[in-house]
Amino acid sequence: MARNIGIALALLALAVGSRIIYPMESLAIEVRADDLIPNTIFTNSMLVSLLVNLVLIGLAVVAAGNMQAVPRGWQNFMEWAIEGLYNLFKGINAEYAQRAFPVIATIFFLVILSNWFGLLPGVGSIGICHAAEHNETSMSEIRLAVSAPVDNMLPPSPFAEGSKYIGCQAGEGIIPFFRAPSADLNFTLALALISVFYTLYLSISKLGIGYFGKFFNLNGVMSFVGILEFISLLARIPAFTFRLFGNIFAGEVLLIVMIFLVPMVVPLPFYFFEVFVGFIQAFVFAVLTMAFIAIETQDHNEHH
Amino acid sequence: MEALGINLPKLIYQIINFGIMAYVLYRLLYKPVFTMLQERAARIEQSLKDADQVKEQLANAKRDYDAEIAKARQEAAAILMQAQERVKAQELELISQAQQEAERIRSEARAQAEQERALMFRDAQQQIAEMVTLTAEKVLQAELKQSHSALIEQSLVDLAKIRNN
Repeated sequence: MARNIGIALALLALAVGSRIIYPMESLAIEVRADDLIPNTIFTNSMLVSLLVNLVLIGLAVVAAGNMQAVPRGWQNFMEWAIEGLYNLFKGINAEYAQRAFPVIATIFFLVILSNWFGLLPGVGSIGICHAAEHNETSMSEIRLAVSAPVDNMLPPSPFAEGSKYIGCQAGEGIIPFFRAPSADLNFTLALALISVFYTLYLSISKLGIGYFGKFFNLNGVMSFVGILEFISLLARIPAFTFRLFGNIFAGEVLLIVMIFLVPMVVPLPFYFFEVFVGFIQAFVFAVLTMAFIAIETQDHNEHH
Repeated sequence: MEALGINLPKLIYQIINFGIMAYVLYRLLYKPVFTMLQERAARIEQSLKDADQVKEQLANAKRDYDAEIAKARQEAAAILMQAQERVKAQELELISQAQQEAERIRSEARAQAEQERALMFRDAQQQIAEMVTLTAEKVLQAELKQSHSALIEQSLVDLAKIRNN
């Protein structure tokens, strides 16, 4: 008991002390992914999505490159994961589970790795210094800034006078090398479009042009219902986009703010929480897509 | 949209990236894993079927074995019984042979004894006759009388009686 109290007090002291040892003047959070190479479209989130691709391909090769009848290690884990996902999709809709599996499982794996990649140390905090005035779009940036007093009694700060980043000059900002793709709207919007249009493709290929009858008909109150259905279909795109983006981006902001306020100990539970959120968001994205496929491919005339 | 960072080329990049990844993962991961899962399921099914078959074969073999054993036991019992019967028959035959032999020996002995007795008797008779004759001669030589002849008659009658006995 006394030992536990001692550990708790030590952690508290570390938390409070860290606030003094690692003071932070302010923090900047950007909604946009920054261009890594000027005058190109290559952003830091694209770099990470390439790394995620490499990691996924590496995992696939390690797991399935030399398949054994008795699975071990990664093969066993990936078989477990893929079979688990497949059974989950089959539970939602047995008809399309196999056909839609490659698309939805790829969504799941890309999203979960993108989410977790954003939690790695160095993502968002290591980058190239750049003069803020050279950034022409800085005025349109949405910034969240939190300032805090700096204790001058403490050991010399590694930060240059007036600079927010180690190694940067005063007034310079930073373009991080890495940014979680899930915290980039281009990535989440791309996945949302793929999810919605893939659902539409499956629905039309099953029900033909008659599928649109559910949106557009002149059958009294059903015409109103059709309009609502259409709106709900369109609303899925921003819903998918901002659910994933919001959760992951907010998670990053939460961690940054927690680290800004209390650099040690306190952020740890939030860190674990974000690992969990990363999984849940990937899961939700995949399951919702499968559920929408199940709903949309139903023949509505069968019920009347 | 631009303030949020949404940009058409970047969006298209992500869509193409997803398409490539979906294809690559399908070829490198999903397809081999599903093939392996199906193969394994088929193999397990086959193994279960084989196991059932083996179990059935084993049961058949056990049944055959039991039947063979029972048959062998029956045969052994039959052979034993036959052997016992044969032994008994042989025993009886031996006994009867021995009895016949004994009977033969006995009858031979009896015949021999009879023969010897007859021989002895004849000898005795001869000797007695000789003795009687001798005696008679002597008596006749000494005093040949009427009464003596009657005595000789009597002696001869008695001798005949003895012979008949």
